[in-house]
Amino acid sequence: MLNLIIRRLTVAIPTLLILVILSFVLMYTAPGGPFTSERPLPAQVLANIEAKYGLDQPFWKQIVNYVTGVVTQFDFGPSFQYKDRSVNDIIAQGFPVTLTYGFWSFLIACIVGITLGVFAALKQNSWLDYLAVGFTIGAQVLPNFVMAPMLVIVFTLWLGWLPGGGWNGGAWQNMVMPVIALSTSYMASIARITRSAMLEVLNSNFIRTAQAKGLSMRRVVIRHALKPAMQPVLSYLGPAFVGMITGSVIIDVYFSTGGIGKEFVNSAFNRDYSVIMGITILLGTLTILFNLIVDLLYAWIDPKIRY
Amino acid sequence: MALNPQVSSADDVVEAMNLSTVQGRSLWADARARFFRNKAAMFAFFLLIALIIFSLFGGYLSDYDRETVDFSLIGANAYKGVPSFETGHFFGTDASGRDLYARVVQGTRISIMVGIVGAIVAVVVGTLYGATAGYFGGRLDGVMMRTVDVLMSIPFMFVLIIMLVVFGRSILMLFIGIALISWFDMSRIARGQTLSIKNKEFVEVAHAIGVHPLKIILRHIVPNLAGIVVVYATLLVPQLIIFESFISFLGLGVQEPNTSLGALISEGAANMSNGTPWQLTYPLIFFVLTIFAFFFVGDGLRDALDPKDR
Repeated sequence: MLNLIIRRLTVAIPTLLILVILSFVLMYTAPGGPFTSERPLPAQVLANIEAKYGLDQPFWKQIVNYVTGVVTQFDFGPSFQYKDRSVNDIIAQGFPVTLTYGFWSFLIACIVGITLGVFAALKQNSWLDYLAVGFTIGAQVLPNFVMAPMLVIVFTLWLGWLPGGGWNGGAWQNMVMPVIALSTSYMASIARITRSAMLEVLNSNFIRTAQAKGLSMRRVVIRHALKPAMQPVLSYLGPAFVGMITGSVIIDVYFSTGGIGKEFVNSAFNRDYSVIMGITILLGTLTILFNLIVDLLYAWIDPKIRY
Repeated sequence: MALNPQVSSADDVVEAMNLSTVQGRSLWADARARFFRNKAAMFAFFLLIALIIFSLFGGYLSDYDRETVDFSLIGANAYKGVPSFETGHFFGTDASGRDLYARVVQGTRISIMVGIVGAIVAVVVGTLYGATAGYFGGRLDGVMMRTVDVLMSIPFMFVLIIMLVVFGRSILMLFIGIALISWFDMSRIARGQTLSIKNKEFVEVAHAIGVHPLKIILRHIVPNLAGIVVVYATLLVPQLIIFESFISFLGLGVQEPNTSLGALISEGAANMSNGTPWQLTYPLIFFVLTIFAFFFVGDGLRDALDPKDR
């Protein structure tokens, strides 16, 4: 296991470095910096500002400074737009929000998706199965940015049950729509994958043996069928996680939940380079870490995999 | 099979048999028959053709174009811009008094175009990349596929947004960005398939008579990947459309006066409380129909071309 972790880390660290260098190079080659405005600043002022942010130094020095700052002190530097806020401040303010509804979305997508998939497979060709299959087909065409306005029409404009946006310190009323909008399409995919994996496992010999020795169906499913059926689901969790991370941008913009997605889009419009970089690196790290965990779980669940 | 009584020599027999035997069914003919039998796929196929015709020629049905602003409608959109056949605004007008029908036509066109162009790039780059890695194997394969692994675990949506910020927001940039990231999955699929093809006799024979490796890849491997590649390319199109709409929804994609379904949905969602629900409904309907059509055609193709994979 330790060997596997080390091997995966040797891939993860270069990945992160590529991400950092890639976004840094893109920013560096950008025509017009963050301080270019309609009315050009006097040359001396511009030079002073650039000196303050270290933009006058050669490229390699800038990137080395940046990377050492991030690695040694978790310091993503100052924001170029807001003079009194650092990137760390912005992340510290928005990230807990994103993490909160992201966590719930992921949890609900997994639990509901897997449960639905398992029961649909157990009762193949029943009304429950048709319902699940219909749901997975329908939800494929409803990504988060389609779900969000539709939910608001129904629950805010028609029924008036839920607030159309805001965070309100994480009250559940404010969380319902973001979580549904973010999780639906992934829930559907998880249900579909679980169903087909479960169907395959239920038809295999060791399940027939387990049933033949008189175990209850419940025990057969929980003790024998679930673990092998989870393999394809696990390998989908990585992409699902990436999708939810990117989807959080839509949620933050549309529901004004105050997460980092909104900051990301704002800084994209304002050319606030340090904020974009900081958020990209943070979310990239999160994704890579998550993929590492999934890989480890995979090795645990499937004894055939030995790295 | 009726044999001609005048036939005497063995050659003639063979010729006669060739002429009169039942036409053999090729893999593709089989697949076509399976596809035609699949009702959902056929329905989606005709829907898709209708959508493409709509996106290309739908504009001729309307008297309005997508960018002319009707100043008399601004501010009065909620009751004067209602969809109606009398005014000729079939889908109503948007908040700036522009004809929504013409804009939906263009939005559908851009969305389908983004999806198809991205899928074509994915097919060309991904197939060649995957086939090369799979055919040569060994260290080259390791390096090439690890590179794809590394690239795949980067959240590329953010890198693409950075690119759009840095190089300016334009359709061209969006195309380049989507093309850059669309081929990863395809290369993996192509590699996997190549691994199973490369040990077949016909490849070994080609190798034995000294055909250049690149020619083997192009002439013998790639054509045999066609089935699976077509399936995944079709399934990739809706994903890319969703991807583009995502970026346009944020306002970072296609820019005015051009539009895409994502941008229209975003506009409709922003104007939702102004009493103009058609601004959201029509783009949404066309978005859902387009995605739906591509998914089902792709699904049908998978059932037809790759029957074991179910």
